[in-house]
Amino acid sequence: MVTRLIDRSVTAFAWLSGLVLTASVVGLMGYVLIKGMGSLSPRLFFGNTAPLDALLLRRQVFDGIFPATVGTLTLVGLAIFIAMPIGIAAGIYMAEFATPRIQSVFGLFFDILAGIPSILVGLFGFSVALFFHHRVSDRIAPCLLISALSLAFLVLPYLIRTTQTALENLPRHVRVTAPALGASRLQTIIYVLLPQALSGIVSGVILSVGRCAEDTAVIMLTGVVATAGLPSSLLSSYEALPFFIYTISAQYADQAELMRGYGAAIVLLAVCALLFTLATLIRHRLADHLFYGTR
Amino acid sequence: MSAQPRFKIKVRNLFFSYGENVVLKDLTVDIPDRAITAVVGPSGRGKSTLLTLFNRLWEDIPTARMLGSVQIHLNGSHRDIYHRSCSLSDLRRSVGMVFQTPNPLPMSIYKNICFPLKLAGKSDRKQMMPAVETALRQACLWEEVKNRLREDARSLSGGQQQRLCMARALVLKPEVLLLDEPTSSLDAAATEIIEQLILSLRETCTIVMVSHDMAQVERVADRGLELSDGRVVLK
Repeated sequence: MVTRLIDRSVTAFAWLSGLVLTASVVGLMGYVLIKGMGSLSPRLFFGNTAPLDALLLRRQVFDGIFPATVGTLTLVGLAIFIAMPIGIAAGIYMAEFATPRIQSVFGLFFDILAGIPSILVGLFGFSVALFFHHRVSDRIAPCLLISALSLAFLVLPYLIRTTQTALENLPRHVRVTAPALGASRLQTIIYVLLPQALSGIVSGVILSVGRCAEDTAVIMLTGVVATAGLPSSLLSSYEALPFFIYTISAQYADQAELMRGYGAAIVLLAVCALLFTLATLIRHRLADHLFYGTR
Repeated sequence: MSAQPRFKIKVRNLFFSYGENVVLKDLTVDIPDRAITAVVGPSGRGKSTLLTLFNRLWEDIPTARMLGSVQIHLNGSHRDIYHRSCSLSDLRRSVGMVFQTPNPLPMSIYKNICFPLKLAGKSDRKQMMPAVETALRQACLWEEVKNRLREDARSLSGGQQQRLCMARALVLKPEVLLLDEPTSSLDAAATEIIEQLILSLRETCTIVMVSHDMAQVERVADRGLELSDGRVVLK
């Protein structure tokens, strides 16, 4: 009787937890959508500038979120571009080459790295920028490149751990397929292990993309500014969506301005959704074509 | 071609352990050439381990330790396969292995068979097709798949997948073929086809197979080895 009661209540609790979680996601998205829908228009993106002129870079946009959207996309792309090869390579090393001793020592460091608050990573990036500013060239200041490097550093542990876990979880009968046919260690990793672990690795990348897109603490200290226009080079300052949302909600003058903040939030969500879709598409394509050639 | 030896594989004073667990103790055995040798015995007595000693597939298991020698007659002479001069990739190309669970790679039937050739650095497309056809014919699978070579190998039935794995091992023209309970995941009909296939391969290579099924050993094997207490009892 008691066992059945416990059984029932655990089931009920599990159901409830799932329900609350789903409801809060739907609630949050709905709230942002309803609040921000009204402000979604070309005007939100381009302000008083003609959209075509802005897209063709003929004229600068001053009171729209077009520069912030481009800034965020560039930033995320750059950070992932830097972090992915290093993270995946380190994950491969951890899973396939490291001795158990090294695995546990390095693993501990990666976990510590994952636990560092992002504001500290930002501060570190800021200090590095200052160091180079004083010692190397005064042209170097907090900028897009420094931000991307800091964000890459922030997401590295996720990439390493997901790659490592995905590889380690492959069953032994998959692992021995290629070696039994005369494959070298590297061939086994490239032709069998990586493609089979791809979906795990891509979920690590997706996690990292989300983390890079939303992070405000790191970029606040390393180069984002409220009005910079489109980033002109890796060493220029830039605008970003989360920072725009932050500044506008902290210091809005009227209701209409706040609504633009909600609009920007929708755009940020859309940017993330776009990047996720891209990652998923790559996952499906990559296994079939990149590794094995077309069928 | 030099004269064929009487014994293809010579195992001498072999000890093998996983950590504290000693699996094989002072094992000395000869495996005859061009014959089907079956390794039988209860679970956990090192039957599959014995097979992996012949292609050194156990070596990536961190706790495994081996003492003793294994000589295989390859390219005309007996060679110590654990000697430094022996290339691991070459060894595994000459000593093929098929596992308990069919393990086709997630690609087309054709590409699965080409895979070992590709690993060996053979990229001539003109030579691929005949090699694939020969291997599939040897594995009695050609007639069933000749019109669907571009289909995903995982769409085949279990028995067909296992024959695909046999063909994939055969495409390298191995001198020794190791079969680790090749029919244990298959139904009776598929098992019978695989058994016929094994018998037909006896002329081309030396086969060492692990089996739980005594009736199967009676039907197929020329000789049985029973592992008992880490040593071998001839049947």
